[in-house]
Amino acid sequence: MSGELILREEYTEKDAEVFVSGEIDIYNAQQFKEKIYQVVENSKGDVSIDCSGLSYLDSTGLGVFVGALKKAKQNGRDIHIVNIRDNIKKLFVITGLDKLFIIH
Amino acid sequence: MELSDKIALSLPCKAEYVSVARLTASGIAYRMGFDIDTVEDVKVAVSEVCSRLINVSKNSCAEYEILYEIGDNRLKITFSSKNIERAGCIFEDDKDGLGVAIIKAFMDEVEFCPDNKDYILSMTKFIEEKS
Repeated sequence: MSGELILREEYTEKDAEVFVSGEIDIYNAQQFKEKIYQVVENSKGDVSIDCSGLSYLDSTGLGVFVGALKKAKQNGRDIHIVNIRDNIKKLFVITGLDKLFIIH
Repeated sequence: MELSDKIALSLPCKAEYVSVARLTASGIAYRMGFDIDTVEDVKVAVSEVCSRLINVSKNSCAEYEILYEIGDNRLKITFSSKNIERAGCIFEDDKDGLGVAIIKAFMDEVEFCPDNKDYILSMTKFIEEKS
């Protein structure tokens, strides 16, 4: 029922990037979590999350971002959020999470 | 200010239908003349309440109701459920507080913990008067 969530990952020798399209809410946050945790685990460096196709995010999805960042930090890595839309960035700002993530 | 038109939506307590509440909220807010950014805000706030309601109710909730009441200058949205065990304060032990922060930021008035057990949460958004 929610906008279909499409996730695609690319690895380089140094790092990894995840491309997110669609909507993330309570219905599919688990799917997002599994993918992002897997990429954080497998990446040899920082992880970039390209949100250019992400049209909707709620607190469930924000919680996954936070969990993934914790996981990355444990390995001395960071998460970069790129191409984020204004309506999604607003959520990071309101919740103060913009200070934790590197948002490009 | 009188709330003239009322739109009621009854949804199963299932995650896959939260998007229906979202779409309904955005449709009504848009119809009322809220600007696009505010329509988005209302949509997010509604979705946050639905998600929380489903999370805290676990298996005790079969369905819940959302009442959208439309006034000249405001949209009032009330959530209720006849069979949820956790009537009352659904956000009282919200660990990360993200949902509460979002709802407070996006709505003008929120009654998080109503004494009245007829509903679970009520929130209102006012239309800004154009000068």
